[in-house]
Amino acid sequence: MTYPDPAAEPVPPARPGVRPFLQSGPKHATGGYTPTGEQPPVEQGQSNTLRPFVITAGRTDGGDPDIGMETQVSVVPGAPPSRFSPETRAIVALLEEHPISVAEISARLRLHLGVCQILVGDLRAAGQVDIQGLENDTPDPDTIMRVIRGLRSIS
Amino acid sequence: MDFDPSANRVVATARIPGGAAPKKAPVPVKIIVAGGFGVGKTTTVGAISEISPLTTEAEMTSESVGIDNPGQATMKTTTTIAMDFGVLTIDQTLKLYIFGTPGQTRFAFMWDDLVKGALGALVVVDTNRIDDCYPAVDYFERAGLPFVVGVNTFNGQMGYSLDEVRWALAVRDDVPVISYDARFRASVRDALLVVLDQALDKAIKMKS
Repeated sequence: MTYPDPAAEPVPPARPGVRPFLQSGPKHATGGYTPTGEQPPVEQGQSNTLRPFVITAGRTDGGDPDIGMETQVSVVPGAPPSRFSPETRAIVALLEEHPISVAEISARLRLHLGVCQILVGDLRAAGQVDIQGLENDTPDPDTIMRVIRGLRSIS
Repeated sequence: MDFDPSANRVVATARIPGGAAPKKAPVPVKIIVAGGFGVGKTTTVGAISEISPLTTEAEMTSESVGIDNPGQATMKTTTTIAMDFGVLTIDQTLKLYIFGTPGQTRFAFMWDDLVKGALGALVVVDTNRIDDCYPAVDYFERAGLPFVVGVNTFNGQMGYSLDEVRWALAVRDDVPVISYDARFRASVRDALLVVLDQALDKAIKMKS
């Protein structure tokens, strides 16, 4: 027989279709193969797949879910000064004139949208800015009517 | 060193009434403009926006085909995409954002973020490359977002009739297929009004 002895055959490494949840537990499966690579068992840490953002101290998600790209950000008048990174201070400086959206902050400062969302979340948590997001997840007929009237009035 | 607090205070008090910052921020609403590469999304956004279109970069995570098999170590790829957007102030308390988004990519997680709470979408089509917009049409259908197919008549002419485009895309009968010219403000405005009409229909249906 030229076939190798099936008992001697090592556990096939990439066979994730077969009950993969058994392999990802704290006790790693047979054969010493770790199917998830160096991914930590805790689900939150996906840092190995994404490049860490230096500006956000390595955070790539976990930002405020209320903060979308269209969310309006305005400074809280009279908020006490606090120590922030230059990027975060630049955001506050941008808002001096009038409230703008997260997307505009991102474009003006040439910062990644995701980074801006996290930094704005920090500012909000620190009481430096207020945010105004969408009214509802499903648009309201009255609001749509206002947009229609507004659009009709332009030429 | 002489430190004069009174001078400081003057500066401070002079700034607060001067800036409009304490004003309440307007409520944002958004419309998505989607389509393949080079079909005129940015032109569309630029035609209607009151500012020249801005570009923001976003990280987009897309998953490869193993998506239905949650146990499998799915190949996650992260790409940076550029998104153009414009703004239109409706009134002091309402601001319309128009986001132009690349539509070629499937399973783009960012789209979920983008369409959340959106009023509707305009899918821009170039009749020379109709298939470029399939992913966008597909996505909006699944997401249940009201959308309109807008054939951009770049040179005032179309390769195919609107009926042929509708047939090629196989969209539902209630999805309007229109033609417009992305270079003209009034034309883009009319196209967006059709989108809003769809949005209003849906919103009224949802409410009742």
